[in-house]
Order: sequence, then C-alpha cells, then structure tokens
Amino acid sequence: MTATLRFRHVDKTFVRPNGEREMVLSDFSLDVGRGELVAIVGSSGIGKSTLLHLAAGLEQPDAGSVEFATGHSPRLGMVFQQPRLFDWLTAADNIAVAIHAAGGDVAKAQEMLTAVGLGKYAHSYPLSLSGGQRQRVALARAFAIEPDVVLLDEPFSALDELTARKLRLQLQELWLDHAPSGILVTHNTLEAAFLADRVVVLGGKPARVEKIVNVAEARPRNAENSFYFDLHRDILATLERHAG
Amino acid sequence: MALWTESAAGLVRRHERRIGPGAARLFGLAARVLPGLLFCVLLAAAWQAMATRSASPLVPNLQLIGDELLLILQSGEAYRQIGATLGRITLGLLLGFAVALAVGLASARNRFARSFFEPALLLGLTVPGLVWALLCVIWFGLSLKTSVVAIALGIAPALAVSIAQGISAVDPQLIEAAHVYRLSFWVRLRTLWLPAILPFLMSGMRLAFSLAWKVVVLVEVFGLSSGVGYALNTGFISQNVAAVLAWTLAFSVVVAAIEYGLFQTVERRLTRWKRKSLV
Repeated sequence: MTATLRFRHVDKTFVRPNGEREMVLSDFSLDVGRGELVAIVGSSGIGKSTLLHLAAGLEQPDAGSVEFATGHSPRLGMVFQQPRLFDWLTAADNIAVAIHAAGGDVAKAQEMLTAVGLGKYAHSYPLSLSGGQRQRVALARAFAIEPDVVLLDEPFSALDELTARKLRLQLQELWLDHAPSGILVTHNTLEAAFLADRVVVLGGKPARVEKIVNVAEARPRNAENSFYFDLHRDILATLERHAG
Repeated sequence: MALWTESAAGLVRRHERRIGPGAARLFGLAARVLPGLLFCVLLAAAWQAMATRSASPLVPNLQLIGDELLLILQSGEAYRQIGATLGRITLGLLLGFAVALAVGLASARNRFARSFFEPALLLGLTVPGLVWALLCVIWFGLSLKTSVVAIALGIAPALAVSIAQGISAVDPQLIEAAHVYRLSFWVRLRTLWLPAILPFLMSGMRLAFSLAWKVVVLVEVFGLSSGVGYALNTGFISQNVAAVLAWTLAFSVVVAAIEYGLFQTVERRLTRWKRKSLV
C-alpha cells in the first residue's frame, strides 16, 4: 500500500516547566497508507497526541521528518477532543471558512451539515448546540475540505457513550464517502478496533510500537460484531502488559 | 416552601404572557431608561437650586441654559460645529484604530515587536492629550490634519494595549485550529482575532472616543475656527457660562446618542452568538 503520511525516524523531546527534559519519541517511524485509518492507543502522556501535532504542523520534530506523499500541499482535516469551533460564526460559516481556505466551494457547507444530520442547524451558533451536535459540526468541517489526511485526537472522549456511538457511525459513513487517510488517537480500544484498519499499540518511554493489530474487515462495519470485542480484549491485554 | 423563587427573566416572561410582547418591551425599556432619567432630573434640580441660591451669572439657571441651547439649535450653529467636531473625531478614530490594530496585533504575536513598541506605548499612555494638541497645532497649523493626527496620537496607545491584551486572551486551541485549516492572515483577522477581541475592542473604542473628544476640543480651542472646542472658547472669552454649558450639554446628548445608538447596538449585534445566562 502506498503511504500518504510517513513519520521517519522522528525524535521529539519536551522540556518540562521544572527544566527536566523528557524524550517522548525516539527514532519513531510509522506509515499511514492511502485510504487507511490507523488508530494509535497507549497510556496517557506516551506521545500519541504529539504524533498528531507533528502531522498537523503544530509542532516540529527535533530530528527525522513527517512526510506527505500527496503530490501537492496536503489538505488536513482535524477533529480535536473539544470541537474548537468559532463561537461567533454559525455552524455553516465555521465549515465555510475552512472550505474557503482550502479553495473549495463554500456552498458545500450546507451539504456537509445535512450529511451529519444537522441540515436545519446551519444558521445556529455553536453555543446553542449540544456537545454532540458541536462535535458533528467539527467532523463535517474536517471532511468538507476533501482532506488528504484526517487527524482525530480523541474526538469522542468528551461525549456520553450514546452520543459517541452515533458519532462513530457518522465517522464511518464520512470515511466511506471521502476515503481519506488518517490517524485516530484514542484511549478507547473498542473504538479503535471498530473504526481503524490498523491499531498501533504504543508503550515505553520514549514510545515504541509494541504491537500492530490489523483489522481486516470491510466497511461499513457493524459495531455489535463480537469480532471487535475480541480485538478490543486483545489490545487491552497488550496495553496492560506494557503498562507494567 | 419553594426552594427557588422565580427569576427576573421568568418574571418578565410571565408579564409578557399577561400584557403582550409590545407592552412588555415598553415595560423593559422604561425599566432601563427611568433610573438614568431620574439621575438627570435630580442633577437638574440640584443645579437649579444652586443657581437660585448663588444668583450669579457664573452659575446660570436652567432657563438661561435652555435659552442658549435653543439659540444654537435654531441658528443651526449646533449642527455645524458638532458636525465639524464629529467629522474630525471619526477620521482621527479611524487613523488611530488602524495604527493601534497593527501595533496591538504585532505586540501580541511577536516578542520582538512587543519589546520594540513597549517604550512607545508607555510614552503614549503618559503624554497628556494637551501635549499632542499643542504639538500638532505647531506642526500642522490650521488644518484638518492637526486634529486627526492629534486624536490618533492620543488614542492609539490605549487602544493598542486593549487590542494586544485581547489577542493574548484568544483561546490558543482556536489559534491551533486556524493553523491546521490554513486560514490566511486576513481570514484569521476577520473570523478569529477581531471577533475574539471584540469585548476588549468595544471598551477600547469607548475609551478612545472619550479621549478623542478631549483632544479635539483642545485642538479646536488652540488652533481651529470651527467645532465645539471653538464654540466653547468663544463662550469662555465672552464669559458666557450659559453658552459653555449649552454647548457641553448639546455635545453630551450627541455622545449619549452615539453610545446608546451606535456602540451598544453594534455590540449587541456582534455578540448575539453569546449564550444568555439562565439566572
């Protein structure tokens, strides 16, 4: 499979406020294939979000490189733990701003809102929407720009489980429609097993790949399939082993 | 016993159901305006009592001030002079705002710019408007440039500090989102920074407007032959205290109209996205 996103021998060290240096990534390499969704799981502070920040250009690696094989400047969609919408813009305008910046047709904002079930909320401001609806707008924004790569940083962790389940299915639909490449960072191993094509289990400090679990199931997937629960138990067991 | 009593908003809603939305709106307006009006009436009564007691032309009674006010309104002088002053204030505010926005943005986003502009801002904040007025009259003489530059110099430092503080307070998570979605500088300015700093900007503009008014009056007193400052100076030279107060009153009404009609309307419009508190 051709890689769309490639981490090559990446080193990243953070300096804590007390002056202590902490290396989170050392000689870290990972490829994300075209149309592939790679889930990254691991304990807190291991460097999962750092990988997303490096891919998004929010942080720079100390050594090594993050490369995109898109043939043009890559279009990135990102969904954060919090929706990170501009509260003073309507739901449609939040999406239109991102589309405009990506050189797309802003009329697509309404279409994307309809796709995530929020067609009638186009002119609503984010603060008048529920947490789940806001996160749907954030999802719509990420996919509205026809992204090459979508970065998902614990996108459903702040939602109640019922809403999160609906949004996972929504994400699956968007993935089928747009087929980007992507990385999903999550603490929820069942979510990782259900959504991803590959689950990368990180452990140690600096982080290293402890295990890669391939999820050879075609989409659309059924969240109730026991196969994902088996995978979830397997991934969880690996995590527990490496958590010491 | 009820644990919670009915809230003020609930009370208004209940009245609205009983007396209709139009009457409820009128009721709300009266509740907002009447306390301020009461203050004005008490102030006028106190002034009248003082004028009667002192019986001096230095403290003219309300009748004399009213006559003077009527005179400048009927002659059209009030509209001409207030119009001239407002025109200068508007141009000065626009120039000052443009400079303050550039300096405030740079100071908030760039460490070198912050250190570079810091002495200028400090100096600008400490120099009284009188100094700018005097210097501009000397430098530019009797021209529009005098008042516009003096106002811009007088307001830009305070406005730049407000803008810089506002930008520093912008949620870094939103800045990151703007970075990921590659919003251009102008789009960020329009859709992120300006709306995010709006509360700082509005308070800064109010402060700037009051500073601008003080500076322009000084410029008009010293070096111009039109405007409210010029009219005040004419009243001062002829020892006509009633005229000085009439002009002050006329301009105060205009300032109040700008505050209620412009600033508050704009602020309400631009912050309609905010969630109202339930209590």
